[in-house]
This record gives sequence, structure tokens and C-alpha cells, in this order.
Amino acid sequence: MEFTNETIDLNQLPKFEEVPFSSLNKNYIKVVYINIAIVLLIVAIGIGALIYFNEEFQDTQTYLFFGISYVVFALFLYFSSIIAVKRRAFAIREKDILYKRGILSTTTTIMPFNRIQHVAMHEGAFSRIYNLAQIQIFTAGGSTSDVKISGIEKEKAESIKEMLMQKIQNQI
Amino acid sequence: MRLDFTTPQRQSVTGIIIMFADTFQSIVRAMWVPLLLILFKLKEDQYLVVGLGFFGLVLLTLVIGYLKYRNFTFFLDEEKQEFVLSKGVINKSKISIQLSKIQQVDINQSIIQKIIGVYSLDIDTAGTDKKEISIRAIDQKLALLLKERLLDYGDKESEILDENQEIKSDTKTFLKISYNTLFKVGITSNYGRTIALLITFAITLYQSFKDAISTFEIDEKQVDTVFERGAGFFSAGILIFGLLVLVLLINIVRTFIKHFDFVMIKQKQSLVITAGLFAKKNTLLNPDKVQITSYSQNYFQKKFRILDMNMKQASSDEVKEQKKKSNAIEVPGCNTEERDEILKIILGKIPEKGAQYRSNFRYLIFRTFSAVAFLAAILTLLHYSEIGNMTIYIPLVFVYLCLISCLIYFGYKNHALYVNQDFIIKRHGAWDVEHEIIEPHKIQSITAKQYFWHKSSDVGHLILHTAAGDVDFRFGNFTHIKQLVNYWLYQVETSKENWM
Repeated sequence: MEFTNETIDLNQLPKFEEVPFSSLNKNYIKVVYINIAIVLLIVAIGIGALIYFNEEFQDTQTYLFFGISYVVFALFLYFSSIIAVKRRAFAIREKDILYKRGILSTTTTIMPFNRIQHVAMHEGAFSRIYNLAQIQIFTAGGSTSDVKISGIEKEKAESIKEMLMQKIQNQI
Repeated sequence: MRLDFTTPQRQSVTGIIIMFADTFQSIVRAMWVPLLLILFKLKEDQYLVVGLGFFGLVLLTLVIGYLKYRNFTFFLDEEKQEFVLSKGVINKSKISIQLSKIQQVDINQSIIQKIIGVYSLDIDTAGTDKKEISIRAIDQKLALLLKERLLDYGDKESEILDENQEIKSDTKTFLKISYNTLFKVGITSNYGRTIALLITFAITLYQSFKDAISTFEIDEKQVDTVFERGAGFFSAGILIFGLLVLVLLINIVRTFIKHFDFVMIKQKQSLVITAGLFAKKNTLLNPDKVQITSYSQNYFQKKFRILDMNMKQASSDEVKEQKKKSNAIEVPGCNTEERDEILKIILGKIPEKGAQYRSNFRYLIFRTFSAVAFLAAILTLLHYSEIGNMTIYIPLVFVYLCLISCLIYFGYKNHALYVNQDFIIKRHGAWDVEHEIIEPHKIQSITAKQYFWHKSSDVGHLILHTAAGDVDFRFGNFTHIKQLVNYWLYQVETSKENWM
């Protein structure tokens, strides 16, 4: 009954930190590249418009300032996305689903199946080119705990969703 | 129109107009700044171009609206007991909801919908924001029928009936809070919040006073020196004393207005609370629905032998964002025995503190660093805004440093997690020491987090997500955290108890 009894159990329980994770589909990074390109294009248009309409910005110093910041921003976006995508992974166990991500940190969220409220599948325009989809899993824990797993092959996503819905149904 | 929901179907045909209106609205909302800019900077010879652009925009929204309508389908899968909704033109989404998870179905009508004669049907589960699952155009007959079908599977209606019946049954007064106690609560609680409120009030007053004076063209320098003299060391004492009295007065009045005639009645399984001076508020509290129970006490309250209790119920995201505490039920000023009685009703027994887990000393470093960074930011801001002479801030900086180091130290001292088989108790707070109690089966999901520079020292963070918000434990021993996570997962996954 007391906790000391449980401490022994703690080490025998299945360990979430030792579960083999599967990473996202290799093509997903391409989708991310496309998204980065679009963001960079919009930013470039914005800066261009700013310089075009404001005559006081039209000198070499400002060009240099914007140019360097733009390149730094682009490189930052590029490398951080590569790391971010590389570090995202998920795993499905018998009774829960795990999702790992984070650039500076390793953040693992674990959702037991019997707490999942519902599941959504999203297909972005560019994801569809590579036949990828995103799965979003909702619990009552609110938006801080909802998990979105991008870059899963569509068929796989479909079957995961199907499986999750089945698990939800079986509990009732 | 078929009255059969088992095959995928679209919304009412008039739904195209709603979709169009929605799209138009969202485009305008997203682009109103550039649109306004274009309108203002417009020269006469550009009217045609802008007109054409506007026409193109309308045409585009029409097309998008139509496509949205075409791609929006919903159906009821009788076999799997699911409601499935597909939508999206470029980004496609497919949402499946177990019928048993549906909590609420709302049928609403906006002005545009009224003109066209359709309704919207929003489906609410415990985990979503409302916008997600919403049929925007459906005629009334169909909406009512669908609502009936959706709710048919659960037993929500009967649950509500049960609660109503309970109110009529025998009742017994359980807790009453006297004026004396309310007074004690008033003078001991909410210091931080009230002071922050007063400071913002004082700043706005100072600003508007300055604005008013500058409009009357009085020499600003004179006013500034008056203020500086006013804020001198001599009058600072009086000012602080006045502030203290004001804080106490405000708190007493607020406590009386909010909790006047506080009565807690026990009815079978649930608690009914009535309180309020002007508007009597009647709240029904079902112990099963409480997700986080907490009680807090500060030094003065300890001397008075009173403590505040808080029961947080499950809330939707919308509620969480709008007013953080709207779904929390507060019991001001009960004593230890009364607290234990309430805990017994809500949790089944008095929770005992289990094994203790403490934070690493890095918690102190992190806190100190943020406090110093905050101070530096404020000082730089003051320096550049050129308000008065910087030397007058030195005593203030000193006071801040003393206060913040006390807060950090006691915050660290009180920061702990207690775990046993039935309860997770988190203690935190420097002045108001709060104990948050969660039952493991109320956990929705768990997040464990570790920064790479904490790896070698085995330090990490833990976040427990519940339906009433998150409870986190920071800078703990990561090996222990991992063990605890595995243990709680085991508990959640084997527990037969419902979280709500």
C-alpha cells in the first residue's frame, strides 16, 4: 500500500525512454524546404516593398543591413528546420502513443489511448505532392498537450488514425 | 434532402453563400492593414486598377467559397459509431469523433445565416476548440435530427437530469463562512495582484495627468520636478503606508462582495455553493468533475489558521484563454478541519504526502538570471526614455533585489513534488504556499522535457496535462521524473476510473 512498495515496481515498468522511435518520412524535409522558401519569398517581398516605398531607406548602408539580416535569418531558418525535423519522431505502444521533438530540448509527450478524445488527419498542399499527411491527436488536456505529427505517409497515417479510433471505441 | 446521415453529404446548397462570407471575412481580417493602406494612399488614376483588384478578390473568394462547399462533407458511421467530417480545399482535413466523446451539440444562427435561413451546428468534445468541428450551413430540421442522432449514443441527457434531481433531495449545510473569517481573508490574500493593479493604475493616472497638463501648455519641467519631489525618500514612507492601507481596503471590499454569505451545502455526492453580495452565485460542484484540487496559505493566514481552497474543473480551451479562473471554484478562509472534510468529499480521502522530490539548485540559477535580466531590461528602458535622474532608482533597485532574492529563495524552498499511490501533490509559491493535488487517473497526457545542457547533470522538466490545465515540476532529477512518468502511465492505462 505504501510508496516504498511501489519503488521496486518503478524499475520493472515499461520504460518510455527506451522505446524505439520511428522518424518522419524522408520526403517531409522537402515539404519543409518548400515552406521555408515561401516564407523567405514573402519576407523578401516585404523588405523590397519597404525599400521601394520609403526613399530614406534607399542607400547602401540600409541595403547591407537588410541583406545581412536576411541571409542570417534564412540560414537560421534552414538549419533550425533541418535539426527540428530530424529530431521529430514518434512511437506507438500497446497502450499509448509517444511523440518526441525539440531543437534545444528533447521533449517527449505521451498520450495514453484511453485519454484520446478524437483524431484528425490533415493533408497540406505540398505534403500531398509527396503523399504525406499530418495526424493531430486531441485529449481533454487542451492545446498545450495536443500532438501534431507531420510527415507520415498517407496510408500509414490513415491506418494509425483507424487504429486510434478503434482503441477509443474499445474502451467504452 | 435525405434524412439519412450514413452516406457522406454536403451542407445546404445555400451554404455556398455562408462559405463565401466566411472566406471573405477571413481574407479581410488577415489583410485589413495593407487594404487600408492601399485605400488611403490611393491616387485618382489608380481607381481602375484597385477596382479590378477588388473584383478579382471577390471572384477568388467566390471560387474558394464554392470549392470549400464542394469539399465539405460529413457523415455518421453507424458501425464504428463515429462522426466523420472532411473539409479543406488546398489543405485537406478529416476529423473523426467517437459519438460517445461528444459532450455538447450547439445549434446557432448568425445574422447572415438568419437571412439565408440556415443554422450552424457546432460539436463540442472535451478536447477541441469549437471552431474545429462546425457545420456552417444546415437547415433546421436536419440540424435537430443530427443533434438527436449525435447525442443518442451517450447518456449525457440523463446525467443532467440526475443532477437536477439531486438538488431537490435532502440537503445539509456543510460549511459557512463568517464575516470575521471573510475579514481575515481580505486582509491576508491577493497582495501581489492588487499591488500590480494599483501600479498599472498609478502609471496610467500619471501618464494621463502629464498629457492633460501638456495640452494646457504648462511647463512640463515644473510638473516633473514636483513629481520628483513627491517621490522623494521622505514622502516615500507615507506613500507606501497609504498604498498598504489601500491594498487592504480593496481586498476586504472585494472579498466581501465576492464571498458574502458563503454557504456550502452537501447534497448526496455533490456540493452546492452559494455566495455573493450583489449577485448571489449558485454553483454546483460534482466531485468527479474536479481535476485539480488545491489549497494555499501564506504566513499571515497561517497565524489566523485559515486557508484558501480552489477546485478546478474541466474546461474547454476557450474558457482557459478568456478567463483563467472561471472554471475554478474558490472556498475562502476555511480551517484545516474543514479543508480535510472538503478533501474527503472530493478525493474520497485525505491525501497524504508521499515520497518527496525536490528541484535541483539550477532552479535558483535560472530564477536569479531571469530576475536580473528583467531588472536590466527595465533599467535600459528607463535610461533611454530619459525619465528623471537615474540615481533616484538606486534605492528602488536595492528594494527589488532584496524582495526578489527572498521570493526566489522561498520559492525554491517550497518547490516540491510529493507522490504516492493515490495522489500527486505539488507544493510551490514563495509567499502564498499552494498545494496542488491531482489524482493520477485525471492525467490526460504527460510531457517530459530535457535541454541538452542539462543532460550531464541529469536535470529535466515534467508537465502533467489535465483537463483543467497543466501542472509542471521544473528542474527535477530526470531519472526520477522518467520513473514517475512510467509509473503514472501505468496507472492511467490500467485504471478503470473515469477522469470525468
